Amino acid sequence: MNKPFPIPIPERLPRKIDPCPIVEAVFEIRFNTAEPWRTLPGLLSEKIRGRYREQKDLPLAQIPEEVRRQIPALTHQPLMQFLSTDFLIQLGPSVLSLITKPNAYPGWSAVETELRWFLDRVQEAGFVQEAGRLGVRYIDFFEKDIFPSLILDVGIGASPLHANELQITTVLRQGPFTARLLVSNSAILGTGSAAKRGSVLDLDVWLGPLDFELFENGIAKFGEAHLLVKQCFFGLAKPDFMASLNPAY
Amino acid sequence: MTTLLPRYFHPAYELDEALREEVVSLAVRSAEPSEADREEIVLKKLGARAWGRLHHFRYFYRQGWGEGAGKPLSPRALEGFHRFVEQFGFPEACTPSLFLTEAGHLELYWEDIRGGAIQVEFTPAGAEFYLQSTEREGFVSYVNLSELLRELQPH
Repeated sequence: MNKPFPIPIPERLPRKIDPCPIVEAVFEIRFNTAEPWRTLPGLLSEKIRGRYREQKDLPLAQIPEEVRRQIPALTHQPLMQFLSTDFLIQLGPSVLSLITKPNAYPGWSAVETELRWFLDRVQEAGFVQEAGRLGVRYIDFFEKDIFPSLILDVGIGASPLHANELQITTVLRQGPFTARLLVSNSAILGTGSAAKRGSVLDLDVWLGPLDFELFENGIAKFGEAHLLVKQCFFGLAKPDFMASLNPAY
Repeated sequence: MTTLLPRYFHPAYELDEALREEVVSLAVRSAEPSEADREEIVLKKLGARAWGRLHHFRYFYRQGWGEGAGKPLSPRALEGFHRFVEQFGFPEACTPSLFLTEAGHLELYWEDIRGGAIQVEFTPAGAEFYLQSTEREGFVSYVNLSELLRELQPH
């Protein structure tokens, strides 16, 4: 199924946009380990606690392990969180992720620096036996219907559907990368005690187990996945929407 | 009765109520990209027994299975296995057997037309093979999977 990539790749990409729509960026590694779950938090915490001083269990940790195993959808969910001033680290029995603080994306340069530090600490912790997936996910939020601003629409016959509540999810492939794109014009974003209603553009790009070596080229592959996310976002944007984002090149 | 799970994790956003699935079916879930196609190929080429075993190896065999030293299924071995099964034409009326090794590798076993055993073990680095009829054994990396396909095809 080698179909041409349907999103046009822009010749140049902005370095920065304002306002920044990024709610959250997630850099995820799925892995196999020989260590039992109960030892993983200690092994990781020992390496990161200088920078990530606070830690807390996530609600899923309350479910017994035997029950979690029976539900494939929970296989790669994190059970606990470590917090620093700018990032979160989430850990589960087979998943690790570095996440930006909600609505406070610090820019790729800061992310890359933190990722490099994080991967070094994970390598030192020594529990990742084999990495199975390397993923980059960006979630963008807009306080309007995003469909008219994108070169993407869904219709029945000649009638576009974006005037209704609409959500589409599609999977695209570009070389070794798989990308899952979700766009919805009826999403609710929790912002502390309030909630905003609008659109989300949620793009998750990943590599499979044979397409990266975590501790050899992991940073480079995260960079390539980030670039593809960026190309997709700006490739989907119509020119007037692009202009409204005040791009700086 | 509802099969809706309690909220055990907090997503960055929620879809509007009209777009949200109110009842989550535990019997039906969205497949990972390529997963449905791959499962269909495994079912067609290896049969229901191997398909069921693979499902169990993926989801229920954790660190320490068996006598206590069994490792979970290697994601690289699984990916190599799928790439092989997708491309390889098994002999007609052949039902290969599928095993999970203690090291977390997948092993396929079947017989060629002369009744000689063929074994292929999918490891994180590549595939190891043994052909009883010609007493040949070897190793190929997944980049060179076509070599293994050529090696095994006449049997």
